[in-house]
Amino acid sequence: MNRFRRQILAGCLGLTAATAGALWLHLSYRARPDYAFLSGWVLLAGMFVLALYNVRKKLPFLPLGKSETWLQIHIYLGFFTTFLFLFHLNFRLPRGLFEITLAGLFVLVSGSGFLGLFFSRVLPRRLATRGGEAIFEKIPAQRHALRMEAETLALGRDANSPVIAEFYVKRLAVFLAGPRNFWPHLMESCRPVGGLLAELADLRRVATEGDRERIDQLARLVRQKDGLDYQRALQLTLRLWLFVHIPLTYGLMIFTVLHIVLVYAFSGGAQ
Amino acid sequence: MSEPPPAPDFDAQNYARPNQNWICGHAGEGGQCRLGPDARGRCGAASECQPRLETKPGETKGRWHCTRPGGACESGPLPDGRCGGSLPSCAPVPTLRWLRGRMTFAVIAISCAALLIVLGHPPYRNGFINPGEISQAHSGAVFALRAATNQLPASCGSCHGAGNAGPGGLVNAAWHAEPGIFDLEKMAGATVGEPMAMDAACLKCHGGRNLHQVDAPPIACVFCHTEHAGLNMAPTTDANCNFCHGDAAKMMVSPTTPVIHHFADDHPQFRFITERRRDPDTLQFNHQLHLTGATIPRLPGGGKLDCEYCHQPDAAGAYMQPVAFEKNCRVCHSLQFDPQTPELTLPHGSGEFVSAFLRSLPNQYLQLAQKRSAPDPTGFVENKLAGLRAQFGSGEDLEQRIFFSTATFGPAANIGTLAGATRAIFPGCALCHEVKHMAGAAPEITPPVIPGRWLTRAKFNHAKHLGISCAQCHAASQSQSSADIILPPKETCAACHSPRGGVANSCAECHHYHQPQMAVK
Amino acid sequence: MPAAPTILERPQRWDASFDPGMTEEGVERVLATAPFSRMNAERFPKRTPLREILRNDTRISKFRQGEIIVRQGDYGTSAFLVLRGAVRVVLKPHLAPSLLGRQATKKKGIFRTLAQLWNGSRPAEFLSRRQLGRNTGLGTRQDAEAVRIVLQDVPRILDRNRTEQMTAGEFFGEIAALSRMARTSTIFADSDDAELLEIRWQGLRDLMKYDDALRAHINQIYRERALASYLRATPLLQHLDEARLEMVAGAVEFATFGDYDWSGEYKRLAQAGNVRPEKEPVILGEGDYPNGVVLVRAGFARVSQKIGGGERTLNYLGAGQVFGLDEIAHNWRSKDRPVNNQYSLRAIGYTHLLIVPTQVMEAVVLPSLPASELPPLIQRPEGDFDIDAPAASAREKVGAETLEFLTENRFFNGTATMVIDLDRCTRCDDCVRACASTHDNNPRFLRHGPSAGRLLIANACMHCADPVCMIGCPTGAIHRESFAGQVVINPATCIGCKSCFNNCPYDAIRMVEARDERGELLVDQEMKPITKATKCDLCVENRGGPACERACPHGALTRMNLNQIDALAKWLKP
Repeated sequence: MNRFRRQILAGCLGLTAATAGALWLHLSYRARPDYAFLSGWVLLAGMFVLALYNVRKKLPFLPLGKSETWLQIHIYLGFFTTFLFLFHLNFRLPRGLFEITLAGLFVLVSGSGFLGLFFSRVLPRRLATRGGEAIFEKIPAQRHALRMEAETLALGRDANSPVIAEFYVKRLAVFLAGPRNFWPHLMESCRPVGGLLAELADLRRVATEGDRERIDQLARLVRQKDGLDYQRALQLTLRLWLFVHIPLTYGLMIFTVLHIVLVYAFSGGAQ
Repeated sequence: MSEPPPAPDFDAQNYARPNQNWICGHAGEGGQCRLGPDARGRCGAASECQPRLETKPGETKGRWHCTRPGGACESGPLPDGRCGGSLPSCAPVPTLRWLRGRMTFAVIAISCAALLIVLGHPPYRNGFINPGEISQAHSGAVFALRAATNQLPASCGSCHGAGNAGPGGLVNAAWHAEPGIFDLEKMAGATVGEPMAMDAACLKCHGGRNLHQVDAPPIACVFCHTEHAGLNMAPTTDANCNFCHGDAAKMMVSPTTPVIHHFADDHPQFRFITERRRDPDTLQFNHQLHLTGATIPRLPGGGKLDCEYCHQPDAAGAYMQPVAFEKNCRVCHSLQFDPQTPELTLPHGSGEFVSAFLRSLPNQYLQLAQKRSAPDPTGFVENKLAGLRAQFGSGEDLEQRIFFSTATFGPAANIGTLAGATRAIFPGCALCHEVKHMAGAAPEITPPVIPGRWLTRAKFNHAKHLGISCAQCHAASQSQSSADIILPPKETCAACHSPRGGVANSCAECHHYHQPQMAVK
Repeated sequence: MPAAPTILERPQRWDASFDPGMTEEGVERVLATAPFSRMNAERFPKRTPLREILRNDTRISKFRQGEIIVRQGDYGTSAFLVLRGAVRVVLKPHLAPSLLGRQATKKKGIFRTLAQLWNGSRPAEFLSRRQLGRNTGLGTRQDAEAVRIVLQDVPRILDRNRTEQMTAGEFFGEIAALSRMARTSTIFADSDDAELLEIRWQGLRDLMKYDDALRAHINQIYRERALASYLRATPLLQHLDEARLEMVAGAVEFATFGDYDWSGEYKRLAQAGNVRPEKEPVILGEGDYPNGVVLVRAGFARVSQKIGGGERTLNYLGAGQVFGLDEIAHNWRSKDRPVNNQYSLRAIGYTHLLIVPTQVMEAVVLPSLPASELPPLIQRPEGDFDIDAPAASAREKVGAETLEFLTENRFFNGTATMVIDLDRCTRCDDCVRACASTHDNNPRFLRHGPSAGRLLIANACMHCADPVCMIGCPTGAIHRESFAGQVVINPATCIGCKSCFNNCPYDAIRMVEARDERGELLVDQEMKPITKATKCDLCVENRGGPACERACPHGALTRMNLNQIDALAKWLKP
């Protein structure tokens, strides 16, 4: 069993045991008057530990344990906290605009977390399978280099082919100018670039001998640019999901603090 | 389809710095300068080199040399020592991470701002945080007036002490709540239904808890009555009642009351059945005879005597009006004692009146003759009296007969020229009443006591049961004695008022908790 | 008008001399002592004259009875010549670390650790005055007021441990200085008036280069001493007593293959894409008569098998590993069915070997081994074509592609290679940021490098078992930290000469332009930026170990010892 299977096994066992225990507690105590308060505090404790992960990430120089361990705890605790959330709501829909917003924030944060977990496990494998490495920050420079090379091929001084030049200006320039085909790459579809390559093949059929080689090189550049786009699409996805997860966490925490104040201020025990 | 992209220029000279928040603006074209933006995002490009002054021995001024790392430039430094070539400055590009930080900041700012705005403004706030509609009874102009009268704050503050407070007040109220923010132990040990501080607000208008038992423990109002449930407050549930009645330990204070969970399951049989109670009333009435007897005549109008003729619902429709002799009985039991003069009827309601009537019988006959415009009133009277004497003997006998006879058929008598057995024209008072001899006074008729309600701890509404015939619940046609309590057993009710029957069967359907009912000041 | 630059003096080779207190008299005295008295000063070049070497690369140290001169296990870079008095070498067993006053590298205190939180706003490659002025180890001592550790209870040591005395005119410490390996023994002063000439290895290298007699002598004692202590530590020979061990020592042959400075040649080959096993020097050939057991002493050797028209790599062997034992043990036990070498052994880069001849093995060594330690008999008759690699080979464990990738790129050299699993890496750069946070906002590696399938070897210093970067450093700025052997560069003494940068076959070292607190470049008097060599230092000063490894959230990055393949096989297990 490799190191990851062990982690998953341990985590799932722990999660199952904890959820079973929590479910039993929920069923036993949900009729209590202050159950919502108690379950709320437990939920808050869970969310607090989850949020501590960001603190750990900002302190990599302190010996606080491996980030890998922290992430495993974060993931399984995240699942567990979702159950705690359902117990806290007693499996009912939230009522009132404030509560709906709060619950919505929680759903977005945990949902983005699940999505991020999915991305983190699936997308690297795809990148590794496709092969080639691209440093995200260097992609614009690489794209620029590819475009320069293609421009020289198609429009340079020794390129004497108006057909190729026109094709370049009409179709390839747009393709090479910026990142393309974000969604098709995420969905593992080759259709957009396939169309372009088919057009190039079509052009090749009617081209002269010297031009054929040029077209082959352009096709190679198109394929390389497509590979670059793929890298960019997946790496950007791997970064962008955190744009939902992290900012909304702060919003959730602010709303949670307020929720605690309101719940106590409007509780039966407040006067 | 695609090829792996060409490997990026493997930079053996420089590190990649993802820890920095800004990238040189020329990086997109591969021409980033070696200085890079600073931590604030300002372009660090300056001149290409720092010119070096070289003074050879014997010279006074010396020459400036270019020290550009890639090789000296053609034009060289300016005469005053400044570098002529300047690196083109750029507009540094923020990294995704920096943007994410900004977005986080923005979300925090927006959340705080929105919340402060909304929460600082009671009108917005109330709509925003209200978890559910307030019932009609606790909203609207009428309630507002009442709240003002009873010195309660308006709107949310009527029930929630901190309802109209600002942010500071809310925090203060939260901090001082009982159980409070850190009273986790108290919360874990809280028992259900304990009275709460908020009850004080309810009690301002609804004076007193008015519990249904004197020694019942006080329970928080919200335990049974939940607000924010819509136009009407949520109805109480069996669970609320079972809090005490379903708990044997709690029911120890009332040993006679069993543990009850649900009506259809373990509600005890009605006590009048289990204790075999009888109606001790002195009035005799045979329902079976009256409802099914062959000899019962039709009512005026042709209808058969049925339940509705005697038992009429009251104005609210819930209960029945008391049965009255004049309204319901005299139509058949006219209290006439002479078939030839049916207009002459005895008064009902008092024994003395009857005695007085009988003593004044000649006068009554005289008035009757005059009313009939008989040619010989005196003779008519004499005739009548003679007949009565012949039938009954003396006036005292007649009186006795009237008070005490229970027979519907009397002995044969000759009345005047009439011969043969005749029907006794009237039963005596004793047919229905309990008549006692009184020495030296008129016989005493025990006033009947007809209970208006038998099951006083419950409420019933006949108007809601109009779809059911009387006989489905009241087995009157089987009752021959008025000692019978003609009420249905629990099973009859439970036939419909049960989960199987489908009709509402919660405790509150029939029983009250607050005794007397909670009035609103 | 840009701000005025900060001008410093450009550091020179002998800016930080080994001992600033080395006086003219000292130099004269040394010149008068053998073997220096016999040296021909003319043979030394103008840039590094003999006098200057002696003045700047040597030091005269005085020791008293019982004071430790070198400690076993330390990575030191100087050799010693006894000028006066006597010293004693502790041979067996080695002294306990507590006796040697040893302590681990000082980690950053809690305040300095927490202060790293404010690193984010520092300009890149900012060098503080303190860092510029910080010197390493011995160089800061001014005179004889140096810290000495005294050995406790010398008589007991003499009683319990085998020791040997050395007197005036003898050299020691050359093994460590020249082979870049740890000190093999502890040596302490045995008289109150011991005086030693300490020569740092740059000086020793130059002296050996230009003086033949010294070179021959050093080589000879190097072999004698290295051999003796190494044989004592070999597991295969543990069951031999002293007498038999001497017999083996007498019969052992040495062999050195390849070039001490192999990285240059390797880089040239690598550039041409021409790194192939067929081109490597053969130590033992497949199918040859097994004439000895090979003990790899330093460097690496490749085990390969002939198949088709070329060689396929089965394994690589590092220091301490044995080759050929299976065949010889088999032949010794089944004399009627002898076998020849099953595989061939080739030298990769620079390989230093000891060969125990077969006769000695059969006569002395093999009879001493208990039956449980003898390898199993060989089943496969040689010459049979077998497409499956042997189960225990590295090829079986990690796959052919990975093994070839590692061997071709010489990655097995690393004791802390940064290995990234591309199936798990989300390209989040947490590792690089963690490295930057522990190094004043400067990352010290590149999250990029050659890759094969799922494996990527990032461009971070591997802290090689055979650190070629250390060859040629004029000032000793690049050195091995005493305790665990991490290779570290001291920015104070680095002069930016690029020797290490050029030497490193893996491009792990980068030259950076130092800056001041405003972010302006530090320049010398010729207005050229001052450059320093930088690389991963395995977070020697930081609490918690390498920050990169700890920071990866997905378990995709690890610092792995690739000298043996097993750790990698386990890590890569699917």
